[in-house]
Amino acid sequence: MRLFWSFTRQAFHNTAVYRFEFWLQLFSVFFMMYSVFWVWKILYKQSPGAFGVTLEQMVTYGILGMALETIFHPGRGPQTYITEQIRSGSIDTDLTKPLDFHVHMFARNFGETIFRFGTLAMPSLAIGYLFLDFRLPASFTNGVVFTISLFLGFMVLFSLNFLLGMLSVVTLDIRSISWAYNALVRFFAGQMVPLWLFPGFVGTLAAVLPFKSIYFIPLSIYIGKMNGIEAWQGIGFQLIWIAVLLLFGRLAWSKVHTRLVIQGG
Amino acid sequence: MKSRMQYRADFFTGIISVIILNAVNLTLIGILVNRFAHLNTWNLWEMVFLYSLWVMGHSIYSLLFWHFNTLEDYLVRGTFDQFLIRPIGVLVQFLGREIQYMGIGDVIVGATGLVLSYSKLGLNWGMFEFSWLIAAILSGAIIELALAWLIACLSFWTGRSVTAYFVMMRLNLMVQQYPVDIFGTWFRVLVTGLIPVAFINYYPTLLLLGKTEQAGGWGWLGMMSPVVALLLLALAMLVWRIGIKRYSSTGS
Repeated sequence: MRLFWSFTRQAFHNTAVYRFEFWLQLFSVFFMMYSVFWVWKILYKQSPGAFGVTLEQMVTYGILGMALETIFHPGRGPQTYITEQIRSGSIDTDLTKPLDFHVHMFARNFGETIFRFGTLAMPSLAIGYLFLDFRLPASFTNGVVFTISLFLGFMVLFSLNFLLGMLSVVTLDIRSISWAYNALVRFFAGQMVPLWLFPGFVGTLAAVLPFKSIYFIPLSIYIGKMNGIEAWQGIGFQLIWIAVLLLFGRLAWSKVHTRLVIQGG
Repeated sequence: MKSRMQYRADFFTGIISVIILNAVNLTLIGILVNRFAHLNTWNLWEMVFLYSLWVMGHSIYSLLFWHFNTLEDYLVRGTFDQFLIRPIGVLVQFLGREIQYMGIGDVIVGATGLVLSYSKLGLNWGMFEFSWLIAAILSGAIIELALAWLIACLSFWTGRSVTAYFVMMRLNLMVQQYPVDIFGTWFRVLVTGLIPVAFINYYPTLLLLGKTEQAGGWGWLGMMSPVVALLLLALAMLVWRIGIKRYSSTGS
């Protein structure tokens, strides 16, 4: 736990330097929440039955999705760090650290995420609660299960990002790939439009891919669209994907590690 | 430019990446329209037109001027000084720094979208509409350039501007994907007056698709895109001048 705190503290120092950026980000989150609030409101007026849930649930889903983007932004994670280290060549300093690289990346990313959750996501949600009909969890149980599911969602995103980072060791540059990656993650995760609105083939695809663990499952549990057994099935889905992705991550890292050692001279 | 060419595989992955990015955005639009039949009276192909019009303007911007948001790197690393000691204008040198090939992906998507929606909507345009389309695309490119430039100039004062840039892009993408009239009044005021991204595609589209009446009191703004574009460009140039002056006087 001390390890996480040290990284959280570091993230705090890095961010506190740029206070202007902080306010700018908060402003932009508010605006995204405001716009999604209006889109759902106007569409609900147009055809009330089409959402399959109440307007309140839909707005809460949308606002939560926008607020969580501050911590789950796919463009900010271990892959960014790894690419930079590879480019500058300072990845060797990471290898000499008396700490497993995978764990190191996790601690760094988790610390940052906790920090951003406290400073950006929470204030955004407070603003959403006061001004934009954002509601508390559907029930106390839903709130607890949501918290667990949110953490598992973070684990899935971390593992996916870590794999992307491993790819950067091979291709040296992932800037352009990550554009498509970020867009795909946002889409299949149901960050703005929930998966139950997806039709046919796209819906089936989204249902089996790991991305829905990041936003869709926790958010659906929060608003009470997924309850009881269904919620636990969602958690099971997340756990299975975490196991698979972590395993792939370990394998990729051990491959890459050997490669790095051979190249280093 | 040489350093970009070193990653040759990046050339193709870049273009494909951009196409995927746009395809995802369009699919999301498609899903919503599929569910609701229309978004506040905008049907699928009108939305595709709206989006493609932006992508076309954006492609010009991203091909030629994408690197404006890297100004802060030059300032932070001190490599900006190289422009100042050469005898050609700073702007001319900075303009010619880089060509971003990924913009080709945007051209492909934008052109396809415009052609498809043109035929699906059964449009039958004369000279006026086509020249207006070109004017709208150019204005869109200039507005985006001027905004990115203004934000880049921020880094003369704050040292960092990349977050501001991404905030603008995020806001921009929201506006370009959905018709502004579904966001409520305050949003419209912001993207019309304060950060005028609605002039890139929303107002010109109203005019081109004959939807001005439906927009009520806002409809006449469709004609104003080129004016807004030139005003913004002038403003950006002014701020750039002031910024450079300031930079020179604080440089060590």
